[in-house]
Amino acid sequence: MGIGPSTKETTLHHFRDPLVRTVAPDPDIDFQGIIVVGTPQDNYLKNLVGVRVSKMLESMRTNGAIVSADGWGNSDVDFMNTMSEIDDKGISVVGMKFIGKQAGFVVENELTKFVVDINKSAEGIETTVVGENNLSQLDAQKALGLLKLKMRHDGQVSQ
Amino acid sequence: MKKDTLTIQAYSIQKVSFSDDYHLSSGHLEIPDHPQFELDDRFKSVDIKLVDPRDCHFQINTIMDVMPISTKVLGKMGYGLSNTLTGVNVILTGADETGVQLHEFGSSDGYLDEKIKFGKDGTPDLDDTIILIDAVLKKDFEFNRETCEMIFKMADDYLQPIRAELKMLSGSQATESFDYVDEKHPGKPKVALVKEVAGQGAMYDNILFPQEPAGITKGISIIDMDNMPVLLTANEYRDGVIHALV
Repeated sequence: MGIGPSTKETTLHHFRDPLVRTVAPDPDIDFQGIIVVGTPQDNYLKNLVGVRVSKMLESMRTNGAIVSADGWGNSDVDFMNTMSEIDDKGISVVGMKFIGKQAGFVVENELTKFVVDINKSAEGIETTVVGENNLSQLDAQKALGLLKLKMRHDGQVSQ
Repeated sequence: MKKDTLTIQAYSIQKVSFSDDYHLSSGHLEIPDHPQFELDDRFKSVDIKLVDPRDCHFQINTIMDVMPISTKVLGKMGYGLSNTLTGVNVILTGADETGVQLHEFGSSDGYLDEKIKFGKDGTPDLDDTIILIDAVLKKDFEFNRETCEMIFKMADDYLQPIRAELKMLSGSQATESFDYVDEKHPGKPKVALVKEVAGQGAMYDNILFPQEPAGITKGISIIDMDNMPVLLTANEYRDGVIHALV
């Protein structure tokens, strides 16, 4: 499995990315940047890229991270692995991914409840309609709100 | 030039029409109805259509990408000045002459109005004009990264003369202008985004650092970087640092 038409992030989607648009200018946070990471086939590399992301964030002294995925299926391994590596470094982390009724997690852990489902279709499936199940500004606002609450809960915010 | 500020000037296009050559004047874009260069041997044909999203109940091949038309005028990716066309976006579709669709996981071939949700961040608005580029390969083609990149490159080369015209427009003709400043909020919790993107093969790839915003030329595939994480600024992202090949 990989990326279906309804979740694929087109070049135009990246250009007008609602996640960047929502999170980058938010006055409650100090925005550091966007880490783009691929989803390798090889298991050794899957693990390695997740570790490298977490080390990068640790070195940047990051307090909180939002991890989003543009597909589902075998890339869920990379997704949960990366979230766990970030969590292990004491960084608050929330995720965003297409789940619906079709793409639930094979293995649940303590982090899966911090993943925002970006499904929009009534049936909760890959509809093969381009743009239908893309991450929207509302999804981005939900994830940012959830991250702010989690950072407060985790003691990342002093107040 | 401030390195922490990206200015995007938007030029609104009201009319797109076919002509013998590329021409861009206030509100009117003229383009040829076929690429004006020699096509790769693997192509059977490349058809270009102008489409109104309110009237598009016709059959299309699978949607390979939706692209904006933007160009760097001053500075480098992420700062300086970029010019962007609004009111027009590009859809690239593809198949071979026998109808085999060019996709990795799930095809969106069918009636255009049923296979796309207009008005999303990643899709054209209902008021836009769509430049629909339909790439048809000869049968028995090899479905690999190189073939797919060649198709995206053909579309990019077709659009480049529009960018060349767009670079020359005067700022006074711009419909809107946006300044994006890399804002720092010291003392607030530090937050980063991690975007996992495809990187496993043909139609499951992304290109970073193209020469032109949302372009292909000179870009580097995330697969060729072994999918390793790359840190980008918000302004690089807004300036089209990624071209999706999914």
